[in-house]
Formats: sequence, structure tokens, C-alpha cells
Amino acid sequence: MAEWYMNEGKDNDVVLSTKACIVRNIKGYNFLPRLDDKECQSLLDTVDKVIDKDIYMGGCAASMDKDTVIRLIRLQVLGREGSQMVNPQRKAFYYNNDSSLSIAVGSGEHITVRAQAAGHDISVYKKAEKEAIELEKKLDIAFSENYGFLTSNVRLAGTGLKILYTVALPAISKTEGGIAALTQRVGQYEWTIYPFAERGELSESNVYIIASVNTLGVTEDEVLRRGEMLITDVIKAERACREEIVTSKKLQTEDIYGRSYGNLRYGSLITRSEAIEALEWLRLYHEYDDSGEIKCSWNTINKLTMDILWEPAAPNRKTPGSFTNSQKIRAQGIRTILKGAERNENN
Amino acid sequence: MRCERCGKELTNRIIKINGVTYCDNCARLMGYDRYLRDPADLMGNPFAPLDQIASSLLQMNELDFGNSTLKCPKCGMTLREFENEGRVGCIECYNTFNDNIVREMFKQQGNSEYAGRLPNQSADTGASSQPVIREKLTGKVSEPAVSAPKAEAPEPKEEMPVEEKKTERGSLTIDQLKKADLGMLSDEDLEKGIKLAAEVEEYILASKLRDELKGRKEGGING
Repeated sequence: MAEWYMNEGKDNDVVLSTKACIVRNIKGYNFLPRLDDKECQSLLDTVDKVIDKDIYMGGCAASMDKDTVIRLIRLQVLGREGSQMVNPQRKAFYYNNDSSLSIAVGSGEHITVRAQAAGHDISVYKKAEKEAIELEKKLDIAFSENYGFLTSNVRLAGTGLKILYTVALPAISKTEGGIAALTQRVGQYEWTIYPFAERGELSESNVYIIASVNTLGVTEDEVLRRGEMLITDVIKAERACREEIVTSKKLQTEDIYGRSYGNLRYGSLITRSEAIEALEWLRLYHEYDDSGEIKCSWNTINKLTMDILWEPAAPNRKTPGSFTNSQKIRAQGIRTILKGAERNENN
Repeated sequence: MRCERCGKELTNRIIKINGVTYCDNCARLMGYDRYLRDPADLMGNPFAPLDQIASSLLQMNELDFGNSTLKCPKCGMTLREFENEGRVGCIECYNTFNDNIVREMFKQQGNSEYAGRLPNQSADTGASSQPVIREKLTGKVSEPAVSAPKAEAPEPKEEMPVEEKKTERGSLTIDQLKKADLGMLSDEDLEKGIKLAAEVEEYILASKLRDELKGRKEGGING
């Protein structure tokens, strides 16, 4: 299974990924909160019949083995908590060969079509829309004149569309009042920004999600247009802040950059928060590093960032030494990737 | 005149709230109990306005309690459950909890009007999809929006409007059903009308027709 996020994305120094999610429900079935197991099985069967098996693989979540679930979490088809999924027999997941396009059944709404791409790439909307239209042709979709596509969550009723940009903003975060100003700016476009993780190990990370809010009163085109204007502003602001930090504290930034790379490249034990912090410094100074000693492309930085962010959640019951073991495995994985990157750069 | 929620004929009293006409029962179900009091009751009381304010304030909790008994006839979801979970149980809930849903939409998005694309169509045509929907359903041609760029306006499809298609079947059109005195329609017309209204997503009309038919079958006051 290839990794969609290993592709060279536009503006990938700031934007990790662009995602478009479209939700739909099928007439004749209650929405998920009121759908009993028998009806849910019928829903899964109905959708399964119309899924193009030449494009998609996958199926009922209950029949997926552990390795597949972990792979799908890493590929962001499933959420991080996918390994502890509740009622897997009521859910199905279909995905194409690089997992850039997926269809989830029974997750929140009857159907969620998701298209994702590395970097800043709004063409994901068209990919998701194309798939949504295919399903609309084959299935009797709940739609109303007044509210558009009807959903269980009334906040999604209307277009049922969400656009999400995952962005790494180390420089804005380190600039006093930077995130507050950005939040205000995002609000002006009627979009929202929130940290990748509100709690836990990654709550201090400088990775944020910028997401559309409105599904009513705006056309899909308008949502995309506002999103593009907004993300352009964000990219510009982050780059300006990086320039400011690097020029005002060149030596200090260079020092932390080198140390961070050393920790990642040669560390034997590393926590998620340490790894993410080190990657943020790599990101911040990477463009300004003219020594040529650290050989690491934007793709490698992004792959490592994604791998750490979407590392499958550990089981709740910890065995003695499991924490140290997970740090060891993580450090080994990072070392292997960086070693490979160095080798590629030297060749 | 008929109640715009259940379609029952209004006899004693007309309760008009936000331009919508309700019967006593529906007004009570929608939590508009305060409108049911007879204005004549207040005439003899010189402190009527003060009393009204005080009683309205006192009634606020009762009103919430009254609303929570509102239940979707299809999936059984109550208003309280919807308010707690922020999710509805089925399509019919959109009719049952219409006011609350619209309020929630306004709260979240400052809007409750759909402007997106139609099913099976690309978003390229989305900018003018709302008028297209209305044209399709009502047969009326709406004026194009002044700001809509001409280049983006979709070519009208050579497709017969929904209404005309239905007329050929020998049934009433949506427009005719909307204007019709339901008491004058045959059971067969009502049954056909329910199907037609459901097909074109006119759920309010469908529920009116259904209630009329149900009332007749149960030998109720409209029967």
C-alpha cells in the first residue's frame, strides 16, 4: 500500500495535507444514532453493492486484521483511536490503492467520502465530489430543498462538506500573539482553527487544523475560494515569521536546529512530544540551512511529522516497560528514515 | 383555513406565530402555550401587561419542559435528546424539530438557507443551484441573481420540470396540492399527493396530506 503523503505537495514547508470530506445519508434508513443493528447491516450491504471494487479495497471493519487497522490509521483513513474502535461490525471502510480516496460507512453519518493529498492541494475537493456524485447517482440520497443534504449532525446539513488543511506553524506559534492574531484572521473568513491535539503528549505541538465551518448559505465554490485565500495568508504569515525569527536569532536557531537533528538521527529513546518538537525546529530552519551538512528533504520532514502525529494510540493497559519500548521503536523508525534520506541525498 | 402544521381545519381560534398558522393542539405541541390564552382574560386586570411579563418569565422553564415532550413520530427521538446530542435521528426529525433545527443552524452558521449544489451535479453549477431547485419544484422561473456571473450560469437542461411530468400521470401538481382545500380532495388524490410531495421533498405538504388522510380513516373531525 503506497503512502499518499509521500508525494511532493505544494507549499509543503507549511501545509502538511489538504483534505475534503463530504457526508451523505441514504433515504429510507434512520440516521446512525437511531439505526438498529439489523438496519445498519442492511445499510452496509446497500453501500457495499455500489462501491466500485476495481478502485476500492476494504470492507466491514470487523473483518479487518490488526495490521490493516494500523496501516489505515497511519494513512489517515482511520482516526488514531481506530485500534480501539467501538462496534466495528457497524462500520465499513473502503480505500483506493494509495488511500488518497476513501469511503467510510457508519462513521458519524451513513457515508463519508474523503479525499486527501500532501501539501496545499485543493483539487482534493473535485476528487471527493466526483466520488460523491457517483454515489448520489447510485443511491437514494437524503436531500431537501431548504436544507440541502440532510445529516444527523445538523451542523453538517447543507453541503455536507468540510475542507481541512493540516498546517505546521512553528514560527507563528513562537511569535508573541501570533496564534491569537491568526485565529482572528481565520474567523474573518468564517473558518476555524484548532490544535491537532487538545490534550495529551502532542498538546504542545505547533500543528493545527484549519477547517471550513459553513455548510449553509454558501456554495461549495465559495467555501473553496475562501479557503484558498485563507491558506495563502497563513502560508505567507508563517514564512514571514520564520524569516523574522531566523534573521533576529540566527545563531541560536541554527544551534537548536542542529541539536534537534542530532536527537532525531542518533537518539535511542524518544517520546512523541520530543520528536514533534525536534521536527518543528527542523521545519523552522530547514530553508535557511546553507551548510549542506544535514541532508533531509521536506518530504522526509513531513513523512516523519505525519508518522508521529498519526501514530496509533497505545492500548489503555500498559505492560511494564511498554513505554520505554515504544520510545525505542519510535527512535529506531526515525533513525532508519533519516539514514535512508541521507543515503538518497548523497547518491 | 387550516393549520399549517397538521392540516386540520381551524374552527374556533386562529393562532398565528411568525406568519405560520397553527391549531390549538399544534401551538401547544410547539410550546407556544402563552398564545393560547384568551386576550379577553386580561381585560379585567389593570396590571395585565405586568402580569403578562411576569407570567412569561415564570413560564420559561415550563415552556422548555413542554418542548421536551415533542417527539419524532418516525424514529421516536425527543426534542430533549436532540438538544443534548445535537444530532437528529431521521429525516422526519427535520420536520418535527424544524424551529429548533433552524435556530441551531443560525447559531452555528448565521444562515439556514441552502446554496450548494444539487445531487448528481457538479459544484460548478452550485452558484445558481438554489433558484434551479425552486424552478424545478414550483415551475416558476426565478430572476437570476444580479451578482451571478453569466459565464457560470448553467445552460437550462432540456428536462421537463417535475410538475409537468407529474401532470402527465393524471395527478394534481405540487402547486395545485398546495393551494387545494384538502377536504375537497379524494382519498386517491391524497395518496398520490403524498407520494408526489415526498418525491420532491415537500415534506410539510406530505405531512399535511398524510394527516388529512389519517383523519378521514380514523373518522376524526376532518373525516
